[in-house]
Amino acid sequence: MKQNLARAFSVCALGATLAVGGAASADDTIVNNVRDRSIAYAVSGGHWGIYQTGDGKAECPDGLNDVGPRETFKMLFPDDGTKRSVVDTQLAREAAIWAPEDKEYKFPYHLAGGKVGLGLNLDGKVGPNDFTTPDGEKGIDNQLFRAMGCLRWLRGPDGIGYHFSDLYMKQFNYNRALIELTNVDSLADDPDVDVTIYRGLDSLMADATGAKTMPGGTQRIDAKFGQKFITHLKGKIVAGVLTTEPVKEMYWPFAWFGGNPGAQHILDMRMKLKLTQEAANGFIGGYENLEEWYYGLARGRSTHHLAYGSVSAPGVYQAIHKLADAYPDASGKNTAISMAWGTDLTQVFIQRRPQEVAAAPASAPSKSEPAGGRH
Amino acid sequence: MRYLFAAAGALAVAFTASAFAADASKSTAMREDYIRPPMPAGFQIVPTELEGPVFADSKGMTFYIWPYKTMRVGNAGDNENMSACDTKPTTETAGMMSPYPPGLVLPELDKRLSCAQVWPPAYASDTDKPVGNFSVITRSDGKKQWAFNKKALYTSILDKQPGDVMGATGRRERGDGPAEREPVGPAPNIPPGFAVITTAKGRLLLNDKNYSVYTYDKDQPNKSNCVGTCAEMWAPVIAPAAIQPTGEWSVVERAPGVRQWAFRKKPLYTSTQDTKTWSYQGSDTPGWRNVFTQVAPAFPQGFTVVDNEVGETLIGPNGRAVYFYTCGDDSKDQLACDHPAAPQAYRIAVCGGGSVEKCNQRWPYLQAAADAKSTSRSWTIMEIDPKTGHHATPGQAGAIRVWAFRDRPLFNFFGDTKPLDLYGNTWGEFNGKRNGFRAFVVRDDFFDAAN
Repeated sequence: MKQNLARAFSVCALGATLAVGGAASADDTIVNNVRDRSIAYAVSGGHWGIYQTGDGKAECPDGLNDVGPRETFKMLFPDDGTKRSVVDTQLAREAAIWAPEDKEYKFPYHLAGGKVGLGLNLDGKVGPNDFTTPDGEKGIDNQLFRAMGCLRWLRGPDGIGYHFSDLYMKQFNYNRALIELTNVDSLADDPDVDVTIYRGLDSLMADATGAKTMPGGTQRIDAKFGQKFITHLKGKIVAGVLTTEPVKEMYWPFAWFGGNPGAQHILDMRMKLKLTQEAANGFIGGYENLEEWYYGLARGRSTHHLAYGSVSAPGVYQAIHKLADAYPDASGKNTAISMAWGTDLTQVFIQRRPQEVAAAPASAPSKSEPAGGRH
Repeated sequence: MRYLFAAAGALAVAFTASAFAADASKSTAMREDYIRPPMPAGFQIVPTELEGPVFADSKGMTFYIWPYKTMRVGNAGDNENMSACDTKPTTETAGMMSPYPPGLVLPELDKRLSCAQVWPPAYASDTDKPVGNFSVITRSDGKKQWAFNKKALYTSILDKQPGDVMGATGRRERGDGPAEREPVGPAPNIPPGFAVITTAKGRLLLNDKNYSVYTYDKDQPNKSNCVGTCAEMWAPVIAPAAIQPTGEWSVVERAPGVRQWAFRKKPLYTSTQDTKTWSYQGSDTPGWRNVFTQVAPAFPQGFTVVDNEVGETLIGPNGRAVYFYTCGDDSKDQLACDHPAAPQAYRIAVCGGGSVEKCNQRWPYLQAAADAKSTSRSWTIMEIDPKTGHHATPGQAGAIRVWAFRDRPLFNFFGDTKPLDLYGNTWGEFNGKRNGFRAFVVRDDFFDAAN
């Protein structure tokens, strides 16, 4: 069953791919999109690192969450003919969302259990609360999955949080993260590559139906409004899998909702991506500050939208605080939670305007090539 | 008397006639020209700082319409030739604001005004006859009301003098925002093939496909110096062969038979690089500018504009992002609750979880320096009682001087610690559009929100 589902959902497929990356390494003989020792990819999909089985019993032994804003409202204020005020009902529920720290959440909220999960080993350790990937990698740090994994809202393919997160990555250019690899000698194995993250400006190139994203499109860098996204990392490619070193923090273009450009602010961020000439996919991992992440969710998804998936924002707030596993404050209380974001990228060519060329991270000539690189 | 009427005193303090005399809309050079339609006796057209010329009653008070809008549940606003704005105050919610049900008792019923008190109908007499696009409709109570293009006309209780457009919500909200009223005015005097829209920067000139038009600093009056590769990047806006210059509009002969529109003697172009409508991206190229029929009033001294991930946003004199508050109640009237004269329970729920103290700590008012002065009709300073959120009475102890835009106070967010931080953006219900806070976006390249 698990193997079947792993084929059905890209997140799970990714986990399998990463684990057997050597068998699926790039074939440079077919097409070479590495130009001047550089290759770039643009985001074309994304979703939270949620491991799921068909019936959900393995990871959600207590069941999926089904008490969201509508259900909570009905429990608190039954339709019994009582005349109630906006202040005592609707605004009281809004207050519980926007100032949850003072509110004790008294409704059922199920956490994900089990030992199988997706993501990255962030601390290099194998701890008691860590997950193991479906393919056996231990030490996976992703407590956000434990907090959110039993929300049908985030479960693919039908949860609307899952659906729209992926759609927004394709649809809205303010989500267009670009990853540029420079100093690349081989997409199969290279011990030292440079990775730069930008926000792009342009739509993805599609096939004639408009439905399928195609490699080979062009992207301009958002140099005016996208400065906060520009991040440099060092990485290595082993058996076709890029692994970067962590950076202290980075912003990943991310809008919880259409029309509200934003970012995931990820601490100790690193990525692990399976590379081919035409695509890259894998996980971004790190830690999210609890308050930033929670209010990002609340600001991005209104009560109305959360109600579609029976998502209780106060319940989520309490869950992430309970499961926080990093960045302790002076009192020893953790202020951040480990996470994994699954990302799908499609190869693009970055089109630099004249004033941007000088600032571009140029690849040094290959040791095996004359100065000037390949042409 | 009632909270809404208290606004008059604050306005009188915050604004003097001399301020309006200095504003851009009074400047002939930058005032938008318009087509003068036939109007009923006593009606007039007045310039405004933000909305261009608007229709007004005999006292100069701006006319508004209430566009019909599909809500999450049901519809609100006026159908053609009808008014849904009643004289009886509503008492309950209408349940348009999912996921909450209808029938909840609205706040402060003892002070609540009817829709027709907040939005006085433009009453007509029984003998008034249609004039041009102005017609007379019959309200549900049998009274007659003027309409423009079949939409009922109202004035606003918040407007105090000619040229005010305070009745419209502070910033327009599309999507899940309230069913807002909009000022209505004459068509701009522009040739076929052009359009004008209201933005945070002013009344922006577009072509008829809503793409921005630009001017080039190196052009001369009625002479284009953009040729060759320049003209490949910047497409001249071609004028029809038979068109004649009129008013502010002239025609430049680029080559025999190739004629280019010019506005205020500046040749017009579109950018071949623009991938979206009403874009400002062309103006990022040195020497190229967007075109406005009139510009919005300048921000007060100390306010600055910065680039961040949502576009250009406004920073207050204290170096922190400026936010505005939007609120529409869930009644069938869709009355605004974003004004100090309105009930504050909505705001206090989302900014402080119901606590005034927490609200003032997390979402403090953007206070004005002791020597700061209002600079225009749109940017004013008002006295607020922070304990109630309402206007302070003259000389009230504990009152604070607060910057306001369009007669609504402005705010900071306590989570923002650096000028580029926007951690409070879209805070509140429906991404801050129904009951919440949004950053003051001046230029939005992503979702057309800066208007």
